[in-house]
Amino acid sequence: MKNIKAIEVSGITKKFGPIIAVDNVSFDVMEGEIFGFLGPNGAGKTTLIRMLTTLLKPTEGNAMVGCCDVVKYPEKVRREIGVVPQAMTSDLDLTGYENMDIYGRFYGISSKERKERIKHILDMVGLTARAHALVASYSGGMRRRLEIARVIVHQPRILFLDEPTIGLDPQSRHVVWDFLRKLIEGDSITVFLTTHYMEEAEALCNRVAIIDSGKIIAIGSPDELKSQIPGNDIISLAFENLSEDVIERIKALTFVHNVNIEDNNLRIYVDSGALNLPQLIDQVKSFGGKILSATVHEQSLEDVFIHYTGKTIREEGAKKVSMLIGAGIPQRWGR
Amino acid sequence: MVKLLAVVERDLKKFKRNPMVLAMSILMPIIYLLILGNSFQGKLQALPLVIVNSDSGFHARRLVDNLRAVEVQPQTLTIINAIDAKKAIDGVRDGKYKAVLIIPSDFSKKIDLKARPEVGLFLDNTDAISADAIKGAVNGALTSIYSDYVPIRERTDEAYLRDINLYRQVDYYQSLVPGVVIMAIFLGALTTGAFNLVMDRFLGIDESYLLTPLSKSHIVGGLIISGLSITTLIAVLIFTVSMIITGIPLSKGIEQSASVLIVIILTTLCLLSLMFVMIGRVNHPRIVGVLSGFLNVILFFPSGAIYPIASFPGWLRAFAKINPEAYAVDALKSILFKGENITGILGDVTFLIIFTFVMMMIAIVTFKRTL
Repeated sequence: MKNIKAIEVSGITKKFGPIIAVDNVSFDVMEGEIFGFLGPNGAGKTTLIRMLTTLLKPTEGNAMVGCCDVVKYPEKVRREIGVVPQAMTSDLDLTGYENMDIYGRFYGISSKERKERIKHILDMVGLTARAHALVASYSGGMRRRLEIARVIVHQPRILFLDEPTIGLDPQSRHVVWDFLRKLIEGDSITVFLTTHYMEEAEALCNRVAIIDSGKIIAIGSPDELKSQIPGNDIISLAFENLSEDVIERIKALTFVHNVNIEDNNLRIYVDSGALNLPQLIDQVKSFGGKILSATVHEQSLEDVFIHYTGKTIREEGAKKVSMLIGAGIPQRWGR
Repeated sequence: MVKLLAVVERDLKKFKRNPMVLAMSILMPIIYLLILGNSFQGKLQALPLVIVNSDSGFHARRLVDNLRAVEVQPQTLTIINAIDAKKAIDGVRDGKYKAVLIIPSDFSKKIDLKARPEVGLFLDNTDAISADAIKGAVNGALTSIYSDYVPIRERTDEAYLRDINLYRQVDYYQSLVPGVVIMAIFLGALTTGAFNLVMDRFLGIDESYLLTPLSKSHIVGGLIISGLSITTLIAVLIFTVSMIITGIPLSKGIEQSASVLIVIILTTLCLLSLMFVMIGRVNHPRIVGVLSGFLNVILFFPSGAIYPIASFPGWLRAFAKINPEAYAVDALKSILFKGENITGILGDVTFLIIFTFVMMMIAIVTFKRTL
C-alpha cells in the first residue's frame, strides 16, 4: 500500500426524487488498498459505485477516481477503471474468450497484447478449458469469474466490484476471493468492493466502511472497527421468557460490557466468553431466568454493524427492499 | 475505428449464433408477398352469383350468355343456376352467395315491346366491393344484349379508346415486389440496430458497455453498421427471390442491380436511424413489439406499395411526402418497371440521404450515455 490516494470522495450525495440514496458521503481509498463498503441491501452501495464509475451523476459533492473527477472527465476515468457490476453482464451468445476479446478491443488494446493477456487471465481464473464454450453454458461461479476476468484485460488501476460473490455457494465464493487476492499481489491495483457479507469484508478488505441508509456510520480496518465495541466475545442467550428485571441484573454483572436485546434473545458483550459462560448461566438461573440455548462467538463485523445500528444486516435488507418497491423507485436502483 | 468495429463484430457474432432469426427474416416477407398477392389480387374473382331465370326468351338467354362469358374471362363471377328465388335470396343472407339475379318471365317480351324491361339484382351490400363488381358485370351484360344487333365495325360515329402502355406490362404480383423488399428492410431494421440496445438494456448487460471508453457515436454507429450489413443481406436475398418468383427481367443488368442495391442500402440506413430515434431509449422488448406493428402500418400502407399515393386524401398525401418508405418504393418502381437508372431517382435518393442524416443526428444527441 502506498500513500497515494486512488479514490477521493467528498460530500457525495444522490437523490432519487424525495429519497436520498447516498447522503453526504466522504472517504479516501489509498492506492493498492482493498476497500470494502459493507451494508445491507438498499443501503446505497450500488448507487455509490455507479457514481464513482461514471454511470450516475451525483446530485451533490464530487469524487476523484484515479486521475480525474468523475463528472468532468468521465472518459478518462473509464479508461483507468475496471468495473464488475452486480448483475452478470457478459454476453450469453458469445464465448468466454470472445467476451474478453471484444472488451479488450473497446479499450483499443492491440491484438497481440490481447491474446497474451487473455491467455494469462483465463489461466488465473481457471477458465482456460471452457474459454471457447458459449457463456450460456457456464455455471454461476464460472460466469462470475468471467465477469471479473473480462474487466482486467485492459489492466485497470482501480477495480470496482459490486457484490462480487452474491448468489454464489461458499466454495465458489472462496475461489473468487483467492483470485482477487492473487490479482492484487502482483500489481499495485486498488480494489473497491461492496458487500453485504461480513465474512467477505473481513476476509478481503484492508479497510471497511459500514454504510446504512446512505450514510457511513463507521470506517476503519476490520480490527479497528471491532475494537470499538466493548468486550471481545459475544454470548447469545435465548430465553423462554425475558423480564426487565433479569436484563437489568445481567447488565450489572462485572464481566458484562453491554447487552443487546432482540425479542427473547440477548447478545451479551463480554471478555473471555468461554470462561465466563458457566458463571453467566448460573447467575441467570439465580435471577430466575430460563435459558433455552447459549452460544459463544468471537466478535465479527456483524456485531459492529449491530453495535452501531441496533439491527442485523440481513433483516434490515429485507425491510429496505420492500420499502423501495413501495416507493416506486426506478428498477435499476434496487438492483 | 477499432472500437467501432468491435461493436460491429460483437453484434454480427451474436446474430450468427441465432440462425433462426435470419431464416425468419427471409421467409416472412416472401410469405407476405404470397399472402398479400393472393388475398388482394388487384381485382376480384369468382364471386358467386345465382341466376333465377324464368324467361325462356331470346334476350334472357343472351343476358345469361353474356354473364357466362364474364365467368370464363376475367372470372369475376361464378354462376349458379337456380329455380327458387326465395331460397336463393336466403342463400345471399347466409353468406353463401354474393348476389341473386332474377330475370322475370316477361323480360324478353318487354324488350321487344320496348316496355321498360327489368331484371332484379339482390345484392349483399355489406360487402361493398363485391356488390359493386357484380353490379358492374350485370350492367355490362345488360347493355351488350343490344350491341350484337349492330356489328361494331359498321359504327363509325363512336369514339374508341386505344390504350398505349408507356412501359412493359407489369402484373399485380410484380407490382408488389418493391413493397416486399421495403417490408424486408423494415423487419431487418427493426430487429437489428437499436433493438440490440433495447435487449442489452432489458438483459442488464448494457451497463458493462457503458463502463468502457466507448463513445455515443461508437455505440450508435457500430449498431447501425452491423444492422446495415445484416439487413442489406436479407433485402438482397429477398429481392432476388421475388424477382425470380414473379419473373421481372433486369433488362439493364449491372447498372439496374447497382441502383437497386443503392436504394436498399439507403433505405436500410434511413429506417435504422429512424428506429434509433423511436426505440433508442426503450428498455423493454414488449414496447418494441407494440411500436413495430404501429410503425409498420403507418409507414408501409401510405408508401404507395399497394395503393397509389395519388388516391389518398390530402392529409395522408402530405404524410407520404415525409414517409421514407414512399420514396424507397417510388425509387424501386422507377428502376424495376420504368428502367430508370440512378439519375432518374435522384430526388428519392436525396430525400433518403437527408432523412438518414437528420435521424442519425437526433439519435446520437438523444442517446443517453448514463443509466
